[in-house]
Amino acid sequence: MERVLVWDWPTRIGHWLMALAFLVAYLTGESEEWRLVHVWAGGALAGLVAFRLFWGLVGTRHARFADFVRAPKAAWHYLTGLAGGRAEHYTGHNPAGAYAILALLGLGLAAAATGWPTYQDIGGEWLEELHEGVVNAMLAVVVVHLAGVLVGSLAHRENLPRAMVTGLKLGRRDEAIAGAALWAVPLLLVLALSCAWWLSL
Amino acid sequence: MRPYLLLLGLAVAPSLWAAGPAQFIAEYSAQAGAGFTADAARGKAFAGKNWGVSEKLSSCTACHTENPRNPGRHAVTGKTIQPLSPAVNPERFSDPAKVEKWFKRNCKEVVGRACSPAEKADFIQFVAGAQ
Repeated sequence: MERVLVWDWPTRIGHWLMALAFLVAYLTGESEEWRLVHVWAGGALAGLVAFRLFWGLVGTRHARFADFVRAPKAAWHYLTGLAGGRAEHYTGHNPAGAYAILALLGLGLAAAATGWPTYQDIGGEWLEELHEGVVNAMLAVVVVHLAGVLVGSLAHRENLPRAMVTGLKLGRRDEAIAGAALWAVPLLLVLALSCAWWLSL
Repeated sequence: MRPYLLLLGLAVAPSLWAAGPAQFIAEYSAQAGAGFTADAARGKAFAGKNWGVSEKLSSCTACHTENPRNPGRHAVTGKTIQPLSPAVNPERFSDPAKVEKWFKRNCKEVVGRACSPAEKADFIQFVAGAQ
């Protein structure tokens, strides 16, 4: 195996922007002083999630859901292998990480779906409570995701956060993606900014 | 067994969900200590005081206006805030969890610390009695 291009630009930039948007939105959630920053970050996150769902259908090989979402049995097999010190290596996302991704994307959409009506004052107190429940569940999945990245990095002797920066990951040459799809980044940014603007009106 | 549970439920339930401003004033006054009586004038002064903690959220009235019967306007987002007055907006001061949640958040940001039970009692006395 050698280091080959696995993550395209929109996947990498989208990942770090989603992480940043979630962090900002979480930290500003209980403040009225920072309320606009909160809804901008939340709106941007909604746009980034929407892009990721779209990119999961039409993106490059390892960004596609069809490439990395497998049956729960595969995730269980991967986790038990990891616990036994003999984890199988996946060039793209591993099957357990895939479920963290799906959970984060789903909870990200749920956060926007409960946050926006709350901001528009059309949901009532219960929706606000639900919004808080959703984002706390999201934080829990983020923690699990980070733990998985740490354990996976150690188990495979591969710096996974760095791979999400450079796009380079251990794999066979024939598993590499042909291009980094830089062209899709403006689309990602426009979608994130439009959602941030439109959802904060 | 069942009738006893029902009676117990009836006895406990009102204190949980049928709270009104009077119960909150009584509860916070009790917490404030013996000899305390909630005072609307003190509450009004508290609500209008510029605490110098946040520039935009300088006082309660910066968002909620000086008349609790009026809708407020969020000083940062410009969004309309439903009136605080329970006479105009019966949802106000009906849910203990909601009341505590918003005292906790807003006191921290506007006053710069937690509000005392005495301050809360005075504030509700002012808001509930506003004409």
